[in-house]
Amino acid sequence: MRRFQPGQRKAGPVRLMAIVVTAVTLLLAASTARAAIISVQAQSFNLTASPGYVSVPDGGSIYAWGYTAGSTMQLPGPTLDVVVGQEVTVTLTNALPAAAGNVSAVFSGQQVAATGGVAGLLTQEAAPGGSVTYTFTPSEPGTYLYHSGTRPDLQVEMGLYGALIVRPSAPAAGCTASAYAHAATCYDREDLFLLSEIDIDVHRAAEQQASGPGPMYVVTEPYHSEYWLINGRAAPDTMAAAGTGLLPTQPYNSLPRMHPGERLLLRVVGANREMHPFHHHGNHTRVLARDGHLLLSASDPSKLAGPSLFTILSVPGETVDAIFEWTGKDLGWDMYGSDPNTQQHSCNGNPIPPGGGVAASPGYDAVTKEWCPDHGRAIPVTLPDLSVLTFGGFYSGSPYLGALGSLPPGEGGLNPSAGYTYMWHSHTERELVNNDVFPGGMMTMLIIEAPWVPID
Amino acid sequence: MTASIGRRWVFGVVALATAISAAIAQESSIRMQCPSATGTDIHPGANNPGIKCGHLVAGDGMVTMANDYTDGELGGKPLYVFGFALTDNFPPGGPAVNDPGYPGWIMTEGTLAANAPAPTIVVDEDDEVFLSLTNVGMAMRPDLFDPHSIHWHGFPHAASIFDGVPDSSISINMGASLSYYYYAKDAGTYMYHCHVEAAEHMQMGMVGNLYVRPRQNNLPNGPPLGATTHVTGNKYAFNDGDGTTRYDAEYPIQMGSFDPTFHDASFNVQPLPFAGMRDRYFLLNGRGYPDTVNPAVLTTTDPLGKVQPSQRVSSLIEAAPNKRILLRISNLNVTTFNTLGTNGIPMEVIGLDARLLRDGDGNNMYYKTNSLTLGGGQSADVILDTTGLTPGSIYFLYTTNLDRLANDAENFGGMMTEIRITN
Repeated sequence: MRRFQPGQRKAGPVRLMAIVVTAVTLLLAASTARAAIISVQAQSFNLTASPGYVSVPDGGSIYAWGYTAGSTMQLPGPTLDVVVGQEVTVTLTNALPAAAGNVSAVFSGQQVAATGGVAGLLTQEAAPGGSVTYTFTPSEPGTYLYHSGTRPDLQVEMGLYGALIVRPSAPAAGCTASAYAHAATCYDREDLFLLSEIDIDVHRAAEQQASGPGPMYVVTEPYHSEYWLINGRAAPDTMAAAGTGLLPTQPYNSLPRMHPGERLLLRVVGANREMHPFHHHGNHTRVLARDGHLLLSASDPSKLAGPSLFTILSVPGETVDAIFEWTGKDLGWDMYGSDPNTQQHSCNGNPIPPGGGVAASPGYDAVTKEWCPDHGRAIPVTLPDLSVLTFGGFYSGSPYLGALGSLPPGEGGLNPSAGYTYMWHSHTERELVNNDVFPGGMMTMLIIEAPWVPID
Repeated sequence: MTASIGRRWVFGVVALATAISAAIAQESSIRMQCPSATGTDIHPGANNPGIKCGHLVAGDGMVTMANDYTDGELGGKPLYVFGFALTDNFPPGGPAVNDPGYPGWIMTEGTLAANAPAPTIVVDEDDEVFLSLTNVGMAMRPDLFDPHSIHWHGFPHAASIFDGVPDSSISINMGASLSYYYYAKDAGTYMYHCHVEAAEHMQMGMVGNLYVRPRQNNLPNGPPLGATTHVTGNKYAFNDGDGTTRYDAEYPIQMGSFDPTFHDASFNVQPLPFAGMRDRYFLLNGRGYPDTVNPAVLTTTDPLGKVQPSQRVSSLIEAAPNKRILLRISNLNVTTFNTLGTNGIPMEVIGLDARLLRDGDGNNMYYKTNSLTLGGGQSADVILDTTGLTPGSIYFLYTTNLDRLANDAENFGGMMTEIRITN
């Protein structure tokens, strides 16, 4: 029965909750739904395509090209955050090496008028040192991709891509934020998962020719990627802070956090050339839209028609918007623990009986989001002795949400608020490496934080 | 090769003996937890079929590929794998779970007993599933001390502690056991695998079929289901409410693939090629054609000379005319997408990722296709209708990535099986 060590927790849920319940309500209300996607909110953008170096977690530094709205090249390009029905102007300046030739940008799903620059096959292009202007008025909200339309086999691989988010002019009725002008797309938080990959051979060849007269001769087939990225970073860098000075050209991270009962909007973008099965542990997602097109029931357009998936198929150039929810429903046991002496808490007002036991009631508790039919049910198995286990860095030492337990020295520590952590990753598991070093690659963690833990 | 096996054999036996003695010294480290044995019912109720318990061991073993591999003797190419085995399949007559001899028996029978794919796990909706996992160690790799885990892939609303992700929770060391608990509330086709060092352990074979049958199967005789009526004994893929997912026979079909260079490197204690992983054996349920249509359990002689059941799951699909076949298709290879096709019998896709294909207004979104593309970690439920087909005829279920119809360099093999129409 050594499944729990009384007295080794920092605080029981009831005590914590007593302290924080009021504050939690305020914090939740104050959080903005947009906070988790870092973007440039504007209708007019000045982008520059320029060279730089990106870091990969095995210690490598890779020559790359990227768009920036400032002075430092970045991968991916800035997330352009605009409003439907309003004209968008993007002026692109070419600061790439002359050997790279022209550069451009195309915007999926948009009717674009290009002015200035020089003629190219797909669109007007900016010659070295020159610029070009693109104008479009997005007609539908959604998630879109923009990328170079010039020599894309090379320039997209080099990093010239980014996400375009088109927001509805107002949230759908009944919520503070929605992906579309449709109540079924309301969300509490949103995160971007822009998936791409790097074949280092292409980048090395471009680097070697960057100072030459051009045009570059770079072989882009056969293609053998060695690094797999979410929002421009490979794990574990995906989980480092956004904007950290350690990764000056990779400002975006990917570390989704949410509370039980919230709705998390995923914007999944296939930005380069490979397909990825993006598997999200924890629960299914409901697909809202592909390429900015809402999938609605033919017989009742107030209802969704997209599938419910545990693995989102991400294909090159396509975007998927999906809603993820997590509650403790049907866990089968009390996620806050069942010991009335150390884990006393109430569900719909019912305490755990003094001697222990189940105090079931229907529905959720409004504050803790506990599924009350499981209230007071003990975790059904005895966990092994600590001496026979290997511990993950995100393990809090306790199976309970928001609770810390005892761990051997040197273990744990990555999850100080004791959330439930779920790996979100490419299920082409070969892509969970940085070159030949496991783990890494296209992977991050979702953290379900206890209701009293504030999320930025 | 013989010399190297001999040397490793000594290490392996020493490691095994050490592990067994450690297990005997701490009896409680190897155990199976099953509350139904003690009468404990956590969620009593009329709708609860009950408690199901299983005991898996995780370790290593050898499997046989389908090519005619000749190295002085006839037989398929042996491949080193990591994998799971189920204690229910161990020879009968073993000690009871509370017997002091149980841990030693687990270690003895579990060593080099890995199956490819992992044993198929089938439960009913509303079951409470207690799955105990014992890490018996890798006898051929005494230099390794890898923990193992069970990840029920796609399980909704799992707590981190039972999700099997080593980074998020705990995983079990050699010579010890960890019990997982799942409250199976959603029917569908899932899969499971070890999540420890996933790129390596899954390439090495720690993957298997897992599905949950719906509670609609348990309806009393007679109630209407849409245009049909439920009759006791009818089986459905989902709680459809309209009988449209009824089937007569079901087959789990798990796509997978092995890179023999990676497996041989592992066996020979060499650096492992991750970014350079290139699969050359393309498999259904751990076998390449024509082994896929062999209804028997395949055996492989392990490096200690014991004949072990290595690949238990046949992919031979059989049905009489006018029947509905449910294929529970999943993909758990770690390198690529695969497309499965049928010739002559269209596939009706009724579910994806363990969920009925139905829109929010209740309209069935089923569709018919001759090809189905799945990446790693995706699943689909597919109905084949044999109405009007001729007894004795044979159809094929095969990858339309035609280069994968091969067992390494040998043609007419790989990811293919037969659909035989019986009388």
